[in-house]
This record gives sequence, C-alpha cells and structure tokens, in this order.
Amino acid sequence: MTGGGGLQGEQFNRLFTLFMGITGFFYVLVIVGMLAGIAIRGRAAGTERGERLARTALLGWIAAVVLGLTVLTVGSYASERRVSAAIPARPPLEVQITANQWWWDITYKNAVPANELRTANELHLPVGVPVKVTLKSNDVIHSFWIPSLAGKQDLIPGRVNDLLLLPTRTGQFRGQCAEFCGTQHAHMALDVTVEPVASFRRWQQAQLAPAAPPSTPLAQAGHDLVMSQQCASCHAIAGTPASARFGPDLTHLASRRSIAAGTLPMTRGHLYAWIADPQGVKPGNNMPYIGFDSAKLHAVVAYLQGLK
Amino acid sequence: MSSRCRARLAALAALALLSACDREERQSRAQPVPETLPTPRQSILQPGVPARTAADPRARAYENNSYQMSQGQLLYQKMNCSGCHAHGGGGMGPALSDAEWRYGGSMEEIVATIDQGRPNGMPSWRGKLTEQQMWQLAAYVRSLSAQPRQDVLSSRPDAPSSTEPATLQSRQPVVPSSPAGVQGTSR
Amino acid sequence: MKKQRLVAMLAAAAALLVISAIAIIVVRSRAPQPVAQAPLTPYAGSSGAVTARSVGDGDDGQWTMAAKNFASTRFSTATEINTANVSRLKVAFTFSTGVAKGHEAAPLVVGGTMYIVAPFPNNVYALDLTKPGAPTKWTYKPRPLSAAQGVACCDVVNRGAAYANGRIFFNTLDNRTIALDAATGKELWQTKLGEINLGETMTMAPLVAEGKVIVGNSGGELGVRGWLAALDADSGKIAWRAYATGPDKDVLIGNGYHPFYAMDRGRDLGVTTWPPEAWKQGGGNAWGWVSYDPKTRLVFYGTGNPGPWNPEQRPGDNKFTTGVFARDIDTGAARWYYQTSPHDLFDHDSVNEQILLDMPVKGRMREVMVRPERNGYFYVMDRGTGEVLSATPFGHVTAYKGVDLKSGRLIPNPAMEPREGQVVRGICPSAPGMKDWNPAAFSPLTGLVYIPHNNLCMDWGSYEASYIAGTPYVGADVKYYAGPGGNRGVFTAWDPVRGRPVWEIKEDLPVWSGALTTAGGLVFYGTMDGWFKAVDQRSGKLLWQFKTGSGIIGQPISYRGPDGHQYVAVLAGVGGWPGAIVSNNLNTADATAANGWGVAMADLPQKTTAGGMLYVFSLSR
Repeated sequence: MTGGGGLQGEQFNRLFTLFMGITGFFYVLVIVGMLAGIAIRGRAAGTERGERLARTALLGWIAAVVLGLTVLTVGSYASERRVSAAIPARPPLEVQITANQWWWDITYKNAVPANELRTANELHLPVGVPVKVTLKSNDVIHSFWIPSLAGKQDLIPGRVNDLLLLPTRTGQFRGQCAEFCGTQHAHMALDVTVEPVASFRRWQQAQLAPAAPPSTPLAQAGHDLVMSQQCASCHAIAGTPASARFGPDLTHLASRRSIAAGTLPMTRGHLYAWIADPQGVKPGNNMPYIGFDSAKLHAVVAYLQGLK
Repeated sequence: MSSRCRARLAALAALALLSACDREERQSRAQPVPETLPTPRQSILQPGVPARTAADPRARAYENNSYQMSQGQLLYQKMNCSGCHAHGGGGMGPALSDAEWRYGGSMEEIVATIDQGRPNGMPSWRGKLTEQQMWQLAAYVRSLSAQPRQDVLSSRPDAPSSTEPATLQSRQPVVPSSPAGVQGTSR
Repeated sequence: MKKQRLVAMLAAAAALLVISAIAIIVVRSRAPQPVAQAPLTPYAGSSGAVTARSVGDGDDGQWTMAAKNFASTRFSTATEINTANVSRLKVAFTFSTGVAKGHEAAPLVVGGTMYIVAPFPNNVYALDLTKPGAPTKWTYKPRPLSAAQGVACCDVVNRGAAYANGRIFFNTLDNRTIALDAATGKELWQTKLGEINLGETMTMAPLVAEGKVIVGNSGGELGVRGWLAALDADSGKIAWRAYATGPDKDVLIGNGYHPFYAMDRGRDLGVTTWPPEAWKQGGGNAWGWVSYDPKTRLVFYGTGNPGPWNPEQRPGDNKFTTGVFARDIDTGAARWYYQTSPHDLFDHDSVNEQILLDMPVKGRMREVMVRPERNGYFYVMDRGTGEVLSATPFGHVTAYKGVDLKSGRLIPNPAMEPREGQVVRGICPSAPGMKDWNPAAFSPLTGLVYIPHNNLCMDWGSYEASYIAGTPYVGADVKYYAGPGGNRGVFTAWDPVRGRPVWEIKEDLPVWSGALTTAGGLVFYGTMDGWFKAVDQRSGKLLWQFKTGSGIIGQPISYRGPDGHQYVAVLAGVGGWPGAIVSNNLNTADATAANGWGVAMADLPQKTTAGGMLYVFSLSR
C-alpha cells in the first residue's frame, strides 16, 4: 500500500479502502450465504419454500453484485476525475527521467533551454505543483515507482511514457525501480524530496550553477585527475571540460543524499569506498575499478566533496 | 522395473543434466595481473629466428566470454568507437569487420592498439579507459570479424540501429586469434 | 423575385470561384515541385536581365581562387573551347599527386604556373605551364601531424588554395594556415589556429580579400566549436575570430547587427538557445565557402551543423549554427544572420556556396545571393539585409514542409522528426543533403545556376551521444539510399528567377564534384566513377566525356595557358565523405559505414579505385 505524499497516492489509498470494503462485504456475504445454505439444505430441499428461497437469494445476489460494481466504477471514475481536474494538461513543471542500468538520469525541462537542469538519482519536487514526468530508458525496461506519491509506470527503450504527479505533503521519500532490470535492480533507488516552492527554487538555482572550482591544492590535484583520467570519459561536470554522458552528472554530487542510486549514504568514507572499489559495493555496475593509489584517491575525494 | 523406480531414475537423470549446465563466471572486477606480461610486438619481421613470446592469459579469459563481450559492445558505443569505425564497417577509422588488421588482430594486439594509439589517427586511450575496459573492447572488436560462439554474442544492439543484431549477421571468415608467425605475437 | 435569383446565382458563382481558387492554391502548394522528368528538356530561354555581378578583376584567363571570383560564379569567359568543337578535347598533360585520398581541391593558375594542394599530407605543387609537360617548379611539404587524420570527419580532403599579391595561402589538416611565396615556394608565415586533440581540422579553401585571409575550421561531427577567422595576409596575425556559438562578444555581434527576422534577434542567443554548456561543443563550423562583396565590404559564409546530430540532446534553436552570416571584413562584426535550419534535425549544414548575383525579383532588380542549400531549398536572399526572397525545393523533400517567408523559419515535418530510441524512415533529403559542399556554377549566358547534387533519402535512429573531446559526437545511426527514381545523383540547371529547373541529368552516383561554366556555352562536371563531362548549357546535351583513372570529386577550372590557348583542368581522385568507401577501404556490409554510406555506395569499389591525378585538357591541334 502506498503512502499519502501525493494526490495520486491519496486517491489510490481511498480507492483501495473502497475496494477492500466492497470486496470484504462480498466475501462475508458469500461465506454467510454458504453457511446458511448448508444449514437450510436438509430441511427445505425440494420443497416449494426452498425454491422460493433460492429465487429470492439469486435476485438478492444479482442486485448486490450490480450495486457493488456500480459503486466501484463510480468511485474509480470520481477518483480519476479528481486527479485530472487537479493537474492541468500541460503542468508547469516537466521532468524527464531516463533510466539506465542502474541509475536515474534526471532533466528538468525549461522553455529556455539554457535553464535546463540535469542531475541524477535525486528528484526534488515543489509541494502542490503538478509535475509531468516523461519516462525513457537507455537500455532495458525499468519501472518508475515512488510509492508515497503515485503508482508505477514503466520506462521502455524506444518509447516515451509519462506520468502526472501532484505532491501534497513535504518530506523525503524513496523511489525504486519496480521492474527487474539486472543484477543491481535492488540498488536502483531514487531519493525524492518534496519541499516548499521557495526552497525548491533555491535548490534549482544552486543546481543550475556550474561546479564549484577546487578550493584547496589537494582538491585542485583531484580536479586535474578527474579531468585527465578515466572519470571524464564517462561523467559530466558543468563548468569543466568533462562532458560525457555515460555515467551520472557529477556537477553537484556532494549535495546529494546518496551515492550510486541509493546504494550508499553520501559520506566521505562512502565516497572513498565507492571510488576505490565500485565493484565491491555494487557488483556488475558500469563504474570500473580504476585502481587509484591512496594519494590520488585522497585528491579525487577532496575534489568531489567540494562539488556541493 | 517398477514404474516408481523408473520415475526416480528419470528424476536423477534430469538432475545430472542440470548439473552439466555450467554457468559462465561473471568477472565484474579485473583480476590483478602480474606486471611482467610482454607488450605485443608491432612487427612480424624479426630478423633471423623469431623469438617466442608467452601469450597474455587475459586474452583467453576475455575472448568468447559473453559478459565481457557485451560490456565491450556497450563501451564501443559509449566511448564513441562507433563514431569512427561504425558498426564494424569503418568511416573515419578503418573497417573492423573485414579480415585486414593494420596493427594485428590478436587480442593482445588490439588491446595494445587501444592503449597506445596508432600514428595515423587512432587515439591513445591510456588513462581514459581502464585495462579491463580495453580487454572487453578487444573481445567485442574481434567478434566483429571473427566467428565467435553464437551463444556468447549479444542479440541486443545497443543503439536503435538499422543494422541487424550480431546474432543474425553473417560473419567474415574466421581470423585466427593469434595467427602465429603472421600477426605479431606467437603462442 | 427575379432580382433575388440573380443575386443568389451571382453569389453562388462567386463562392464557386473562391472555392476553386483556394483549391488551386492548396493543390499547388501541396503538389511536389514539377521537375522536368526528361533529362533533356530544351532550354526555354531565360530573361536576359539575369547577370552575375562582376566583382574583382576581369577574367584574364587566370584562376586565382577556388570559386573563380568573389561572387563565386565559377564562370570562365574563355570561348576557344565551345559547343561546336568540344568533341575535339584531348588530354594535354597529367600529373600525379601520389595521394590515394579524396581530391576535392580546385587547381589555381596564375601567370604561367599552376598550383595544386593535395589532400593530407597537403603537399603543394607548382607546375610550370610555360614548359612542355608542365614540369614541377617547386614543391612545398607542410608535414602535418599524422594523427590529424584520425579527427577528419569525412576523408582527409583539402578544398584548395587562394592566390593574392604573389602569395599562395592554404590550410593544413592539422589547423595551420600557411602563406607561400608563389614564385619560389618559400614559406612566408604560418599560423596555428586549432587543436587536433579537440577534434579540430581545417579543410576549406581560404578566401583572400582586402589584405585578409579568411579561413574557418571543420569538426562538426566531433563537437568542435566553429569559427571563422581573418588573418593579416602580410603577417599571418589573427585580425579577428568569430565563433558560431557562445556569448555575443565571441560571435562578434554588436550594435551593427541587424538580422532581418525576429527569430535571429536577441542577446547572447549563442548561449540561451542551448542547454547549459552545450554551446561549447556546439559545432557550427565554417568549413564551406566564403563570398565577398567589395561594394559593401561584407563577407558571406555559412555555418555547419550543430553537435551532436541527435537533436533531442540540444533543445532550442542552437544559434548560430546552420545559418548564413554577413560580416564586415575589417572587424568581423556581424551585419546580419539568417538561420536556414533552426534546431537542425538532420545534419543539414549551411556551408554551401553563395553566388552573388544582380537579378530581377518580382520585377525589381535586387542585389541577391543564391544558395542551393543542403536542406533541399534553393534560397534567393537579399545580400544587404538577409531577407529571404524565395526558397524553392530543387529535389524531393519530405523532411520539411517549406519555408515560411514571413518569419523566415524552415517548417519541419513532424512525422520525420528524429526520436531517441527509434528509427525514422524515408527522410529526404538525407544527411549529406540535397547538395553537399560541391559547388554550383553560374552562367550569365543563360542566367542559370548549374547544381551538382544528390537524390538521397535516409533512415535515422538517434541515441544519446556522450561528449569525449576529440572523438566523434554524433548520436545517430543513419543509412542512405537513392531517392525517387533510383538515381543517387542529379545535375540540374536551375532558373533562379523563375525558381524552377530547366533541365536535369540523372546520374547513377551522387554528383560530388564541382561545376564549371564557360563562355563557350559549356558546363563541366565529373562523376564518382571517373567520367569528366562537358554538357551544353542550354540543352543539357552531353557533348564530350572522358574517363579518368579514379572518381572525380574535384572542382574543374578553365584557364588560358601561356600559349594563349584555353585549357580545362580537374583533379581526379575518389574520396570525400561517400568516396571514403573506396579511399579508406571500408566494409559495405555495414550500412552505417562512413556515417551512413555503406549500402548507398556498395557498388563504388567495383566502379572506381583510389588515386590522385590532375588531368588538363585542350583542343587537339
């Protein structure tokens, strides 16, 4: 069952309760009817009274089924109406999410392309603002699921799916790939933060800025390593020559809550662990074992930690 | 023989068959290798009696390994190899799906070419790719021209391509993995 | 009653008239441009008012720049070889460049010397035309870096040199512009302008005017930021360099910038019409042709495709790629700009030649430039303002629905728009366009523009490209094939005034050579299987042809030799983008070989072999 962080989630809960109630009622009805039938069987079988009783029971049954189905249909319809009434056809915010094995590539679309924002594995949404989420996949079928906000939607290679969201409550939620997509399917999580509009705007502004330049000599050495070594073959860091798109965007890596799509919490120690041995942390993922010695590792982590 | 006995025997036979299905080992982390491995020669011309060099054990480990080959296929696109060599047909760079190898067609030689670069435009990927990634790429590059085992080929192209998946393509004649005395290192 | 009926009838008649007029308009706008299907439709006679603007020196039998003159007409006034005697054309002498790559250059002839720039390694040869057999006078070897070959997108070509004031100027593949003493071959200066590790190369033919050498870079398939630079012809110092993307100060956009259309106006469009940072890898390379108008001191040139090819990665108009710039030659300041393909979808670079003409448009003489564009439209533009006066398709177009002359915008066909992860089929023209770099020629005799071009369609599948500096940045898997009719190439005589073809010759292979017109009523061009042809300007009738040793993708020229006789010269040597199938020995089993030419050129290896050779023809005496 989903939580109540978004309009769809709430409606889903309401519908779920309704379904549970009605199906529960029919379950009880069937059991009671069966018990009653067993009790009556011996005495009224074959008699005219028995025939009458059976006819009445059948009519009652049909009426109950029709009524139940009607309530369910009307309930679903009303719920759907509620959601579509609350979310305009062209919501003010559009987010494109591309699934990869095993991480999420996130782009906030903008009418001015220069204000497009690209990040990874962390979704920020303003509360009370309808969002259109377009879903794509670069490799296999994945499924986008933030249980607290809405139901699942598949991400299919070569197709564009979309999903409308309306978060109603601030908070931090967890999203998860909900379609088996390879060995690290379980480690394909999405950190979701629903926040007031003002703080969302602040986040957006901060994320749009190019990466912070290295502030210490150690970080500078790390910057030089990231630019000249394997890192820049796969990752992009805005404001630097690194612009590759194979791995997640690292521009504001240190501002995120987790590393490697929810695999590890974002701490200095975990950054070390991840870069030193990504295959030990998340076997089979596409980040290779590079084999930095400790001096290089210190430098790279110092630089990455500065990417707030 | 009773029918019960027969059923038991059948079940045993099925079990025995299952145990024969050897699952391919997936190496996601490169194994540490001794640093004394030879660099492949770039010329087959060795005046006088040719010296024999030991083969790199990694060549066997990566070639005809389904996982490594499909990782190589992924890298082939993501590292923009396809931009120059297309899907084997070539373009800015030479074709990889024909039987001609300018700098040798063995696993070791292909890795050396990726690592060192070549003077007529092949960039050097040293420090831009890990050694493991180079071996994976070499395994895939060899599969473009040689005839790898059909069961290790990836049936899924990594790009929305008008070309057929590898499993459906007709292959060029087999190029020996290490044509001793013809292309560089001999085994 | 009677009167009422009459009014009703009149109204009905009027309605009928209006409806039929609308229907006619609709039908006419929908119907494909009627193209003369017969290869040889008789020339109907064009208005004699069409004249090429005469710029620069009068024709004295020399050929000092690739496009012949600043107006880029490629028209020679020599009449010795003409429609009556062309059948007597014979080889006068030949010269091998020793390079088996694509020869796209135009030879130059100044005084009694011919100058040739070969493809990589870009050796320059001076041939002494005063002596029998034209022996080599001097050779200059710039020795470009070998590695540069690895970042040259479409074969290691060079499109020619330029001559001015006793100097030869040319570009090397590894981004140097070099000035040589034309008499001795001594190097006077060289300036390094780009970096091969970022994917930059230089292949274009410079234009020299007002003491400035105008050059641009190539590398649109490697995410190279495009620029056009002016070097001081005496010292080689960079006078100005104008980028095609980025903030206005990099693009040299200032107060004097007055584009005709609203879509090209605004501050820092080179940044705001791109996703963040994308303009740094945005392409827009000036690898094509430059024209110059001495009267207004304006330089005209086009910018190449935006990077990457995959359009979904770069939402926005992607200024200032795939458009035409007019710049002041002294300062480089942009006067106007017009974007032919905003948010380019199909690699439709806008680098083709602009032929400067004075011609009547709607009854009024206008100073125009005409551009047979890669996107399939023949543009007639006011060269003072950048206004599009007409844009007519000169072949089969499905990719676009036309050009809105009010807003200036090209209207894409939504059904053909590439989508990531999908393959879109039947896009015409293909990525090499209705016409690639291979320049057209104009003849004042007929008032027609002679266009060597393609008839190709394509399938396009796009995916996200990852930018790694110095490697290809494309993100599309493409496959070309012949368009309607099955012929891959066409040679069209186009009436720029009426906006229609007068005759056309269907060629089996794409026509990748330049065209040459002469006052003898002839037009010359070559085919990729090695036929060098002379055709009647008026009728399109084939009058003479000669089979050279390798496919022709060069630019033919004509000159008057020291003996006073007329000669025609062309470099043969297959290569270039489609010809790389042969010159790079590619495997055509892969349809995507050479960025999409694999299947389209599968028969080329049977039709020609590589090899670079100069052929010079004259009348047998």
